Amino acid sequence: MMRWMRRGFRRRPHDPERNAAEYVTGELSKRATRWLEAHLLHCEDCWREVLLGRLGRRIAAEAREQASAGLRDRVRGAVQFTSEGGPAGPAESLGP
Amino acid sequence: MASDQDEFLRATMGAMDLVYNLSRRLTDGRQDAEDLVQDTFLQAFRAWADHRRPKKVEPWLATICLNLARSRYRARARRPSEVPFEEWMVQAGSSSDPESQAVGKIEREQLYRAMRALPEEQRVAITLVDLSGLSTYQAAEAMGTPRGTVLSRLHRGRRALARLLGDRIEEVTR
Repeated sequence: MMRWMRRGFRRRPHDPERNAAEYVTGELSKRATRWLEAHLLHCEDCWREVLLGRLGRRIAAEAREQASAGLRDRVRGAVQFTSEGGPAGPAESLGP
Repeated sequence: MASDQDEFLRATMGAMDLVYNLSRRLTDGRQDAEDLVQDTFLQAFRAWADHRRPKKVEPWLATICLNLARSRYRARARRPSEVPFEEWMVQAGSSSDPESQAVGKIEREQLYRAMRALPEEQRVAITLVDLSGLSTYQAAEAMGTPRGTVLSRLHRGRRALARLLGDRIEEVTR
């Protein structure tokens, strides 16, 4: 299985975008990660994409927001209202 | 014995932030986003009560949210943004230090504009994976596209954000 995975990875077309996306997301197997990290030492295209991917991921994470307690209460209330036989209509009719 | 309602809320409320972040990226304002969150949970609850229950709630809720947005909010989501910037800024800059607040506002403003500038498909991929922690397999399931397409959208979105904001981030953290 591992040998198949390694061969499969090596046989893939050189695709810096896909390599970077999987690597930065942390979805490569350990073996594929080792292969890519060795490859990054001499492939400028893949290295550049990994750097951009890492930075972009870090920036994107800054946009994370938390739902307010008011919204949580509103959703709980709407679900309760619906389960008690209230009309499951559009959001406007079930607002706080 | 727990009711459907209790089971549903226990299983799904932990995914509230995921649905909220996705809704925020699919609609133009906080109110629209909150309505979309509520509609998503109500539709999910109806399916739950009808014994259509998923193995994993996060991708399931994301799929419902995306489908609702496509059918009911897409026309508005595609218009140029009319959201008052101040509304988006409500959660920014909790520090009382004016300098920190200023830096936070600059970054938030630029981040907001950069995210809005991304094509919707890239914005959704980034929201599902980078903001919500879904795997690209789960994001592909939620988006109804092959995983390779998600990887491509994800990377192009990240790269666009890095190119738009990278200099600014490095400047601030230097």
